[in-house]
Amino acid sequence: MRLDLPSKADLQVFAWYCLAAAVYIAIGVVVLDFLLSFWVAVGYLLVVAWLVPAALRRLR
Amino acid sequence: MSWAAHDLEPYAIQRHLKLKIAFVPLLFGSYSPDMLTKWFVYGIHLGPWELKASDPAQFHRGWPGFGFTHSLLFGAVLGVLIWKGFGSKLWGLSFMIGQWAHALTDACDTLGTPLLFPWTFHFHIDAWAYAGQTGRLTDAAAYFSGLGGMWDVVWIVYGLISWRVLTSAYFDSVIYRADAFWPWVNRWVPRGALLALYRAAFFYGTSRWIAWTIWAHVIHHYPYDLSWGGPHWVPAEHP
Repeated sequence: MRLDLPSKADLQVFAWYCLAAAVYIAIGVVVLDFLLSFWVAVGYLLVVAWLVPAALRRLR
Repeated sequence: MSWAAHDLEPYAIQRHLKLKIAFVPLLFGSYSPDMLTKWFVYGIHLGPWELKASDPAQFHRGWPGFGFTHSLLFGAVLGVLIWKGFGSKLWGLSFMIGQWAHALTDACDTLGTPLLFPWTFHFHIDAWAYAGQTGRLTDAAAYFSGLGGMWDVVWIVYGLISWRVLTSAYFDSVIYRADAFWPWVNRWVPRGALLALYRAAFFYGTSRWIAWTIWAHVIHHYPYDLSWGGPHWVPAEHP
């Protein structure tokens, strides 16, 4: 049996999403309203998983 | 009712059905039964007024009420309307599958769903307590203390085992190609943003599962009760 393991690039993306999730969870536990809307999560994820990385790439 | 399963199931469904599936209508279908009713089940405050169903369970799952939104017929009818309205059989079918997944999942709680509406009999497996009538916070505490929360874990773990469905390569080769929606949106929205949108429901479902679990068991110490039909410390609704 061959294990289907993620590449280093996949793991880097996963780590970034985990960091984003940790912040989202920390905010959500304090401000429960933050957890209630799917669209808030979509907006948040667009910022942290697309806008911020895109801005960082542009700065480099 | 389920809190995170409806966010997570579409990833597994589109991965394992040997059908071509459009992800957005699949997700939309998965959310559709509660989309217009959940706020009124829990109630909202508008200034001095509270808007809330007098009988939340009846309103949510019953007839008279909006229980028909949790029936197989509702998914089929809306699926046909979407097919004819948008001219896309793929969208109609995907919506219907998502809605059916929701209706079947909610049949696992103590209140169940009128799956075969207009026959109003409630199909219910009674695995976890339906506590929507107690309000949002008690419902959350109960759900994440019983088998409902564990059912969500199944989908989270399943998604992580099937991690390739969340990769950019899978998005490009399967999701993007399956549905003209993505290339159409891609005319205005960059591909990186589309990828984040595709992953959003999994992110949302998993993150809020963790957050509500921390809230219920670390901050508030609600007791776990993983027995069938539990938690029994909350008054569960039955048909």
